[in-house]
Amino acid sequence: MDYLAVENASKTFGGGVRALDGVSFSVERDEFFTLLGPSGCGKTTLLRSIAGFADLTEGTITLDGARLDRTPPHRRDIGMVFQDYAVFPHLTVAENVAFGLKARKTPAAESAARVAEALATVRLGALAARLPAALSGGQQQRIGLARAMVIRPKLLLMDEPLSNLDAKLRIELRDEIRDIQKSVGTAAIYVTHDQEEALAISDRICVMNAGRIEQIGTPQEIYADPRTIFVASFVGTMNVTPWDAAGPGFPPGFAPDRAHVWAIRPEHLRIGEGRPGAVAIRGEVDKYTYLGREAHVAVRTPDGRFVIQVADPAPGLRMQPGTPVSVGFDPANALFFDEAGRRVATTRTS
Amino acid sequence: MRVGFWPLVGLLAWLILAVLLIVPLGSVLLSSLHDQAGHLTFANYERFLDTPRFRTAFVNTLIAGFGGLAGSLVLGAAMAFCMARLEIRGSRFVSLLAILALVSPPFIGAYSWIVLFGSGGVVRQTLMQWGVFIPPIFGMWGVLIVFSFKFYPYVYLLTSGALSNINRSLEEAAESLGLTPFQRVMRISFPLVLPALSAGGLLALIHSIADFGTPRLIGRGFNVLATEAYTLYSAEIGGSLSMATTISIVLIVLSMIFVVGQRYMSRRNVYHGNLINKPAKRKLTGFANVAAHTVVYAIALIGAMPAIVAVIFSLRRTRGPVFQPGFSLDSYQRIIFSLSDAIQNSLLFSAATVLLTVVIGTLIGCLVARRMTASNALLDATLMVPYVMPGIVVGIAFVAAFNAPPVALTGTAAIIILSVFIRRLPYSVRSSASALRQVSPSMEEAAISLGYSPVRAFMKVTVPLILPGIVAGGMLSFVTAINELSSSLVLYVGSTITMPVRIYIAIHDGDYGTAAALSSVLLALSGAAIAVAFRLMGRDERALL
Ligand SMILES: Nc1ncnc2c1ncn2[C@@H]1O[C@H](COP(=O)(O)OP(=O)(O)O)[C@@H](O)[C@H]1O
Ligand SMILES: [Mg+2]
Repeated sequence: MDYLAVENASKTFGGGVRALDGVSFSVERDEFFTLLGPSGCGKTTLLRSIAGFADLTEGTITLDGARLDRTPPHRRDIGMVFQDYAVFPHLTVAENVAFGLKARKTPAAESAARVAEALATVRLGALAARLPAALSGGQQQRIGLARAMVIRPKLLLMDEPLSNLDAKLRIELRDEIRDIQKSVGTAAIYVTHDQEEALAISDRICVMNAGRIEQIGTPQEIYADPRTIFVASFVGTMNVTPWDAAGPGFPPGFAPDRAHVWAIRPEHLRIGEGRPGAVAIRGEVDKYTYLGREAHVAVRTPDGRFVIQVADPAPGLRMQPGTPVSVGFDPANALFFDEAGRRVATTRTS
Repeated sequence: MRVGFWPLVGLLAWLILAVLLIVPLGSVLLSSLHDQAGHLTFANYERFLDTPRFRTAFVNTLIAGFGGLAGSLVLGAAMAFCMARLEIRGSRFVSLLAILALVSPPFIGAYSWIVLFGSGGVVRQTLMQWGVFIPPIFGMWGVLIVFSFKFYPYVYLLTSGALSNINRSLEEAAESLGLTPFQRVMRISFPLVLPALSAGGLLALIHSIADFGTPRLIGRGFNVLATEAYTLYSAEIGGSLSMATTISIVLIVLSMIFVVGQRYMSRRNVYHGNLINKPAKRKLTGFANVAAHTVVYAIALIGAMPAIVAVIFSLRRTRGPVFQPGFSLDSYQRIIFSLSDAIQNSLLFSAATVLLTVVIGTLIGCLVARRMTASNALLDATLMVPYVMPGIVVGIAFVAAFNAPPVALTGTAAIIILSVFIRRLPYSVRSSASALRQVSPSMEEAAISLGYSPVRAFMKVTVPLILPGIVAGGMLSFVTAINELSSSLVLYVGSTITMPVRIYIAIHDGDYGTAAALSSVLLALSGAAIAVAFRLMGRDERALL
């Protein structure tokens, strides 16, 4: 029996906006599960339906064997972390964290101990008596996290909790969230539109698009084995090129019959001919972008424009636009998709 | 079936509007459509159009409205520009004077003008001794002057707010694109403050149309619809109200036309200020500096003059109604000993009104701010109607609706309280809705996810957060309630007399010392309430509008 099961969830807003369209998935007892997708794809709607703040038009949600849609939101025992922190400004840090324990009538001594422990976990012990207004965004979100975790919820929901923080803090706090979730062992659903964050934090990722699920899988599966052209282009960078049988020099019969477009990641392309058996396309440099740890070379070819990732570029390396180059790659790394955007397997793998 | 809490509040709101707005308005409309014999007819409206007296009053109302509007726009815009963009010494004192103009008790304003500029007015007499002749303030021009100085704060407060919120970069961008200062003002600044200017102008216009005391005392033959309605009402008491109600309908329609017109005019220009790059205040020197200060202080002092004169006159020695040389507390003694019923009534009625307004206004405000359904949007729109109804009209409507069983309320305290309540409800709904919009809905959701039922989450989280705003709003409602004259003038009986009505009677009887002392008490109470409100929510004069 799945711990959390969402079955055939659909939601139509007044005005005919179909925010969710037959979504089904399940989450395991201690799993870190991420909903990933562009803004407007229905992630928040799905999360709020699980929390009980929105009703599904169709479908069922069960948590630990009990139908959730028959439980009012305040009895669901689901912790929630909000994008805008939603820290109570009229309560101190400690009172914020103790807020949920009060509703549960936890004895004072136990409550104090659990609050102290939760604050220590999020490294806010020293600020317990402060009012939140004076704290930074990162600290406020830590309060939000401690407040949600201290009630030992059956499920933890987080809706883009880091999107209002700056880049460095985002990385720091996402690792903390991941560590805390693993040490407590609560099932968590995390919403983000940031694919890198999703890859870094998740046990499994559910990629959504326009109210539907595109693919569910581990970060490795999502990145390396995308099932649709949407997943392939949304997660990481991808060179997508219309398939033309007369085009680049794939071995004869390599491409599947139904191929409509083909795609390859920049890190799988090289400047130069490469090893024997590799495909090579001739073209000329269009643009060279130096990024420190890597560089991106855009190359224009008769078959389309490709971005090539150069790892650890030499600081002296310059590539003038117009320089003739050839782009090499191993055909095994190419992905093919049919007209509907679904992956089609190649006949040969090497 | 279990009915939720908020639908219940919605139902209650509609019930209140039905009883206190729709039924009275319906009664007024029905009464205006019936003749003395009780037949359905348009005769009253025909009579309104045919009678020169009513036609004149109609034209005079438009003159008073647009004259008051023009004067308020000129004075308010000039003051707003100086205060928002120039360094003015003592600017806090100046805005205090503007508040004083705004809250000076009704009637006493007009009376103070008479004291200074009437036929035997102090200033006029002095000027005559110096050989300067000015005509007495009475008549149309007098009314327009008083309106301009009484209602300019509406324009000033809204426009100065908008002026100091224009992003400076916009004006700098215009300058860098080569616009002359004049072009810059006309093409950038003016369109940006137009919504505020027209909103302030609308308030001045509506108040000028509704004002009853000023034309009554200063008009001297310059009769407007509000005074005609009251005269007809007093004359027709006991009989049919048909002509008074006909005029009431005309007044309501006129006000609504202006409200809708202003909305239409500023429909496309809603700009949100950018608080990052506020315009700097310029420091003038020499003649320009003196001129700016003169303009600001002249407007502010003349506007606040009625309140100041009232306080001074309340301290003058009197014998009976006649002023003697020297100062004393006679007038205060007299009001405490013989008029304490009016003071008690005023305090009691205002407290009851505020309580009702705050509780019900907050509930409806939450409904409007948080649960946006078609019904609640309609509720919000319907609340515009009591917002623009002249007090005289509300009074007449309540008499028309509640004079006979099943609901016979005339002569009770309840009818006075309810009439002020319904007029103040829109302010309260708006202020609590805007307080609520500052609180992220996720706060309440956080509490619910932590195990609090929706009602408990609201009480535990939202209420503490909006409480200062609500109490402040209540204090400001108190100011309006205790100063309310025109509806209570129609609705009062001997035992339910209030301070403003008492002032009106005292002025009528020539007992100016009493009027001045009562006015000063009103001013002190209003000042205290405003001080509490500003302490709770920070100083924000615009909350008074
Ligand atoms: N209350 C609402 N009424 C109507 N449409 C809504 C409402 N809330 C969300 N939507 C629409 O539903 C879709 C999904 O929204 P949301 O779940 O917030 O997306 P995400 O969180 O993935 O950005 C969007 O197209 C949005 O415009
Ligand atoms: Mg969202």
